[in-house]
Amino acid sequence: MNHTAPLIPVRIVNEYVYCPRLAYMMWVQGEFAHSADTVEGKIRHKRVDKPGGRHPETAGEDTGEIHARSVALSSEHLGITAKIDLVEGQGRKVQPVDYKKGKRPHVAAGAYAPERVQVCAQGLLLREHGFEAGSGILYFAGSRERVRVEFDEALVAETTRAIEGLRTDSAKDKPPPPLMDSPKCARCSLIGICLPDEIGFLAQQREDIRPIYVRTENAFPLYVQSPASYVRKDGGQLVIEEKREKIAEVRLKDTSQVVLFGYCGMSTPALHECFRRQLPVTYMSYGGWFIGHGMGTGHHNVQTRTAQYRASFNEQTCLNLAAGLIQAKIQNCRTLLRRNWKASDDAGDKAPPQLLGALKSDMQQAGRAVSVQTLLGVEGSAARRYFEHFVFMISPQKNEETQGFDFSGRNRRPPRDPVNALLSFAYAMLVREWTVALSAVGLDPYRGFYHQMRFGRPALSLDMMEPFRPLVADSTVITAINNGEVSKKDFITTAFGCNLSPRGRKAFIAAFERRLSQEVTHPVFGYRLSYRRLFEVQARLLIRYLTGEVKEYPTFVTR
Amino acid sequence: MEHVYLVCYDISDQKRWRKIYKTMKGYGAWLQLSVFQCRLNKEDLLKMTDTLTEIMHCDEDNLIIIDIGVAETVSFKVASYGRPFQPIKHSAVVI
Ligand code: SF4
Repeated sequence: MNHTAPLIPVRIVNEYVYCPRLAYMMWVQGEFAHSADTVEGKIRHKRVDKPGGRHPETAGEDTGEIHARSVALSSEHLGITAKIDLVEGQGRKVQPVDYKKGKRPHVAAGAYAPERVQVCAQGLLLREHGFEAGSGILYFAGSRERVRVEFDEALVAETTRAIEGLRTDSAKDKPPPPLMDSPKCARCSLIGICLPDEIGFLAQQREDIRPIYVRTENAFPLYVQSPASYVRKDGGQLVIEEKREKIAEVRLKDTSQVVLFGYCGMSTPALHECFRRQLPVTYMSYGGWFIGHGMGTGHHNVQTRTAQYRASFNEQTCLNLAAGLIQAKIQNCRTLLRRNWKASDDAGDKAPPQLLGALKSDMQQAGRAVSVQTLLGVEGSAARRYFEHFVFMISPQKNEETQGFDFSGRNRRPPRDPVNALLSFAYAMLVREWTVALSAVGLDPYRGFYHQMRFGRPALSLDMMEPFRPLVADSTVITAINNGEVSKKDFITTAFGCNLSPRGRKAFIAAFERRLSQEVTHPVFGYRLSYRRLFEVQARLLIRYLTGEVKEYPTFVTR
Repeated sequence: MEHVYLVCYDISDQKRWRKIYKTMKGYGAWLQLSVFQCRLNKEDLLKMTDTLTEIMHCDEDNLIIIDIGVAETVSFKVASYGRPFQPIKHSAVVI
């Protein structure tokens, strides 16, 4: 028995019996997702957890009645630890009582295996401390019923096996595979992290995918870009002030992240509250430069990062990922041109076939690239081709009306014309969004596979956003111009370049947000989800790829 | 899944009333003196109820939570005079 191994809480043993992968993700990877069940459990425990009564540290001479709440016991020998809701009994004869919310299940054994094993593990702990614990009680609060669980030989053996199994699994660097087609997954709070059906599908073990984990979004970002505004906390709300006057308030529970532009201020209590709730807070310059971000204590999953770093040293893995991402980007650029081509004098009303053909061959070349160098070359020529024709996606009317959107190619640092200013701003927004998404799932946004050579930039965000540059950033630029959401008067042009005005920036952020909330069909899995949720799914799939659970990273392309 | 709730309370003590009002601002939109409109999932409902029942005194005060239905699909008719009534919508906020 390895004495340096940390003691396993018995509630994790319960999860192990439910699903070994779930226990691994919670225990080894530190994953945790709130659900109504966990919140209810916490509230209940807050009320039960007032330690009281006698503490049966070890059984002694005392033969008095025992009725102790919230008893913490551990054993190096068993390798487990527990906080027992209630211990009751007489002298050395005691039984652990475990509170369960909900009603007693109507099954032969009186309760399901995970709960029976959990209370038995508590019994073993009590025995280890010198008590006689022949049985335990599961108290179901929903139906106010007590179910007795006998610690017979079979149950004790099952419990010891579960503890051993969990210990063996914990020593591995990869979680056990997901359950196949199990109804348990639908009730599992970590389904969005585990992705059982997606992994099964990619491993060709199943045909259809239950899109059960795709939850609707209930919380949205707060962007503060109006100059001289200040964010402070008031109870469960964030209040936004301008010159000490309240101009808006948002509920923290409806907020997913806070984005501050320029010199907007935020009070320390507001910042603390965001961090406590694990809401990312990011800072950008007015021009959209991503300056930095913070997010509480961050993610505990060290294993994910280890896998990421390890993969980043493997040239072949880097090339495979990079080639896939660039190929997807070129394909999406091509689709965007094809879909949004506008009629004009010097071009027909359909994207020229030679152009589409050339982009297709770029795509194929990217897929076959033998080194990152060749890939960079292919990417460059595809980008030139694409941006040369970008202007044909802008409505000619708008172009004339505003005389501002003539665009002959990409320029940046600083952008010199409105379209370039919009593109730069949109890419900065996209980098930010990806950086937040990657940090939230436990990846390091600064260690990339393709963009690894450029120092000091969120390289993984830049990698992962490649397929989405056309679909999210460029497409928002085109829509915002064509719908007249931004026009020439929304730009400030000086000798130093061209920038969005506060009004223009506000309108453009709104358009960008709309795009992120738009639903698309996942080309591999076939279900619909918003771009924002898609980023999260793609980030989690990348983890599964990096840890070797799926053979290939499925890039996103639209049809 | 979120539901729409109407939360109404009678609180006999000013200090407790303020506390409840402040708590409620974090969960919903204020409608009238002691009435809030909320859009909550099960977790938020549990947390809100827990906090409120901890502040109020069950023998003097009263709290009513009316479940109006699933937020995405429910349609309820509201007649409002004086101030306009607006159902709660979630979306990004740009300031
Ligand atoms: S989703 Fe299913 S396979 Fe994944 S951890 Fe939960 S129960 Fe296990």
